[in-house]
Amino acid sequence: MSAAPIRESATGWYLYGVVPAGGQAPATSAVDPSHEVVAIESGGVAAIASRVSLDEFDETMLPERLADAAWLERTIRAHEQVLEAALARTAVVPCRFCTVYRDEDHLRSFLTGHSRVLTEALERLAGRVELGVKAFAAAEPPSAAGQAESGRAYLEARRAEQRRREELAASRSRTAAELHGRLSSAAEDGVVLDLQSPSASGRDEEMLFNGAYLVADRERFERALEVIARERADLQLELTGPWPAYNFVPEELGRG
Amino acid sequence: MSSRELDSYRSGQPAQLADVLERVLDKGIVIAGDIKINLLDIELLTVKIRLLIASADKAREMGIDWWQNDPFLSGANGQNGLEERLRKLEEKAGLPTSSAEE
Repeated sequence: MSAAPIRESATGWYLYGVVPAGGQAPATSAVDPSHEVVAIESGGVAAIASRVSLDEFDETMLPERLADAAWLERTIRAHEQVLEAALARTAVVPCRFCTVYRDEDHLRSFLTGHSRVLTEALERLAGRVELGVKAFAAAEPPSAAGQAESGRAYLEARRAEQRRREELAASRSRTAAELHGRLSSAAEDGVVLDLQSPSASGRDEEMLFNGAYLVADRERFERALEVIARERADLQLELTGPWPAYNFVPEELGRG
Repeated sequence: MSSRELDSYRSGQPAQLADVLERVLDKGIVIAGDIKINLLDIELLTVKIRLLIASADKAREMGIDWWQNDPFLSGANGQNGLEERLRKLEEKAGLPTSSAEE
């Protein structure tokens, strides 16, 4: 009888993001709390990373972990908090959740292999932050079609409802375009994000705009937002951030 | 300007989960890493985590049960918003919703 091999718990490297060389690792709890967050330098930039157990983070194990909402939220929050702590000190190019290397050599070869684009991205992000702006409007009143007494009245009410819905959608899309134009002119760059449903945003109002901006002069950007808020009392505006610049990584590194 | 009109920067309190998810799961450097995983639909994950937080009653109050059998949510973004908005309107209007028409 042959002895079953005793498998040691292998570790890999979880990469949070990349900072300029010389950047310190933040003293924040890692995605795997039994390991510390460290900085690993190569190619003139530094990875913010921590060891993770491949029992948890291997691709065969991850689907199970991702199905565990409690694990998922804790880990996602840890990922974000490490990056926010790094952002408080320096520019950072953030990685997507669950970017894992099997060993340090692979991690280093990513840094050296993308040294130029990472360095340029960090230069572009220096002194700039990502801010998020969302706009909400009160949800529409319910249609009267449900209360219609005859079939004909019902159909008419449905048609009126349809027209009203189209007008509202057109007016909201004009508002969104205007918001994005004005906010973009107070920022270095801007992108329109997908709208969040009320169940995701946790608000009763409907989201009609969701944007992210790369901002150098926060005061100027906030002033632009305040002017809009005064003019558009019908909207509720929400400012979030500063975020690691998730939405402004170069195309070569991102989704493109 | 009142805080109702423009919420100020979050100060210390955790960011809205949906805002974190839409960035962390889908954006940033995506070409790195040895381990390839398929991240699920962001909205589905958001709702799932919110379910964990909210009590069942609160979840129902927020309308968090429509996603369970929703074929649209398992697809890519695109039509989801429209379909969902339509369904919500129909629900509010007391009409049979699209998902109940099978």
